[in-house]
Amino acid sequence: MSSYLPCGTYHESYRDEQKWWRTPFIKGKMGLMVILALSLPLLVRLDWVGGEWLSVAYTMNYYILAALGVQLLIGYCGQITLGHAAFVAVGAYCSTYMVLFIPWPAFMVDYGLAYPLSIVCAGILAGLWSVLFGLPSARVKGFYLIMTTMAAQWITVPLVITQYVSQIGGRGVALSIPPGTIKVGPWVIDPSNDEGIYLFSLVLVALCLLAMGNIARSKLGRAWVAIRDNDIAAETMGVNIVSYKLLAFFVAGFFAGIAGAFYISALSFVSPEHYEWFYSLLWVGIILIGGVGSIQGLVFGSAFVVLVFKLLEMGVLGLSSGLMDSYPELGWVTTKIIFFKESAFGLAIIFFLIYEPNGLAYRYWQLKNYFNLWPFSYTGKGA
Amino acid sequence: MEFFLQLLVTGVMLGSIYALVALGWVLIYKCSGVLNLAMGELTMIGGYVCLSLYIRFSTMMSIESAFLLSVVGTLFVGLCLGLITERLFLRKMIGEPILAVIMVTVGLSFFFKGMVFIIWDTDTQVFLPRVFPIEPYEVWGMAVGQVYFWSFIAAMVLMTVFVSFFKYTRWGLSMQACADDEMAALSLGVSAKFVYALAWGIAFMAAGVGGSLLGNINGLNYSVSLLGLLVLPVVVFGGLNSIPGAIVGGLVIGILQNLSGGYLDQFFPGGIKEIFPFIFMVFFLLFKPFGLWGWERIERV
Repeated sequence: MSSYLPCGTYHESYRDEQKWWRTPFIKGKMGLMVILALSLPLLVRLDWVGGEWLSVAYTMNYYILAALGVQLLIGYCGQITLGHAAFVAVGAYCSTYMVLFIPWPAFMVDYGLAYPLSIVCAGILAGLWSVLFGLPSARVKGFYLIMTTMAAQWITVPLVITQYVSQIGGRGVALSIPPGTIKVGPWVIDPSNDEGIYLFSLVLVALCLLAMGNIARSKLGRAWVAIRDNDIAAETMGVNIVSYKLLAFFVAGFFAGIAGAFYISALSFVSPEHYEWFYSLLWVGIILIGGVGSIQGLVFGSAFVVLVFKLLEMGVLGLSSGLMDSYPELGWVTTKIIFFKESAFGLAIIFFLIYEPNGLAYRYWQLKNYFNLWPFSYTGKGA
Repeated sequence: MEFFLQLLVTGVMLGSIYALVALGWVLIYKCSGVLNLAMGELTMIGGYVCLSLYIRFSTMMSIESAFLLSVVGTLFVGLCLGLITERLFLRKMIGEPILAVIMVTVGLSFFFKGMVFIIWDTDTQVFLPRVFPIEPYEVWGMAVGQVYFWSFIAAMVLMTVFVSFFKYTRWGLSMQACADDEMAALSLGVSAKFVYALAWGIAFMAAGVGGSLLGNINGLNYSVSLLGLLVLPVVVFGGLNSIPGAIVGGLVIGILQNLSGGYLDQFFPGGIKEIFPFIFMVFFLLFKPFGLWGWERIERV
């Protein structure tokens, strides 16, 4: 779904047309976005902003990374997955154990190479694990495939990880990572250094979105879209659907592994409770809210969900501290805030699907076209 | 051998509850094509409604009549909730793509779960005074807990009621017609909206009774909704649109769950009992992609 260019903008070669940033205005817009993203650590030092927004920002980046694989599978390849948290968990545990239990040579630790290496390994392992559960996709599709991805969640997190993997090292279910262990180059990345986590997440998000965008417009991406639109037709056109589906599962698992390996730096511990089924569904909800089959939609959806959670939290906390004096019997609201969040998220998904089935990305597309085609704008449905 | 038979009998009795809940699921799918992932939460809601009614009633009358009355109350509340849910959310989703409809039910499950915990809190709650005494019955020389025994009876009775409703009454026949061919049913004067509403009502009722029975076994908490989620392996095993498949699948999954708990737990300590139906389902799907008696979809480009 590409948008219209403003009047008077023409391309003289295919190369120009394929560019990421095609007009000076888009270049300026993206540049502004990069500057804004980089200046957030300075912005939160202001009194009226508050440092907790930095953690909101990197949580959003984590959701973008984690939902990227879901977007790939559902939005580009048409394979519905409801078990992505399993692969994120595999990545997180792989990275943690590599950082903690491998006797790294001294120079690897000194130059902070162990953690970046473990991120790549986590991605590969999560990708292979994901291929394992993608194998049934060769035979089943639709709801039956949904069930096998759900089985991936139930087999991986409550059984394999909780019962076996997290017993390694004998430190119980929640494994904490000592401060200062996670280093990228000379920088230590742990909760004492929110800015480091944020900037690192920014780098990862930029790399992964760039990779995804380029894959989507290559032969691979076109094959996935063909499978999504009609797999039988794709097969008759010569697309090897089994291998392309498995490749989609591998790449999606790879992104999930990177997400999981990144987030251990922000948590500084791993525990199965961060990879429950709720999160699998949350990430599918994110891409539905943002828009299926669009990378922008992924960003919009993550931002929307994180902001709604944050505002809900602020609202309920503010409300209860304001009301507590006059209505002390309302104190139970604060203790149950997580359930209010969950209910609100459920309702948000339902209302988005009923009233905005194309997601936020579609509204953004309409808005862009309105200004590009001004003064002869037509914002009706369709291309 | 005695151990095996013991597990088998308990499995059948537990499985009958799954079969009851799965019946509700299959009815929704057959009639309206909605794949409902909120079944676990419906089960939990049923359990909690029954519990709060039971606590009220048990102060007024004898235990047996209080429990019976609260099950009837649960059926009524379930019917109302089912009709409301269908009218507010699901009717607008008719004809939308499969993922959208599934995610609406997922949204419903978040909403219901949050609401249940806001209203009833997360602590485990038990039916007090106990509805079924702890002393087990003797069935063919095997000890069977009274809870399991009466759950089995109740599930069987309700299943018979639902199936005969589906087969012999006018409303049931219109549901069957709608499931078979919606367009033909519409042209013969069957109201599809009424059928969808009825299907959701019945599913809520079945899940509600399932929840109140499961709540009697281990107490009520979040894990009841996980047990309700086991309905998904059941329906996949039996085939999505087969009512006998749901019943057989429920029994088989119940038995398998108990056997895996009895025999595999020593090799794989921990939660193998809850996970085994899912593992079984994945392997089963590799060999029979449409379950036991599900319709095979023949696709054209």
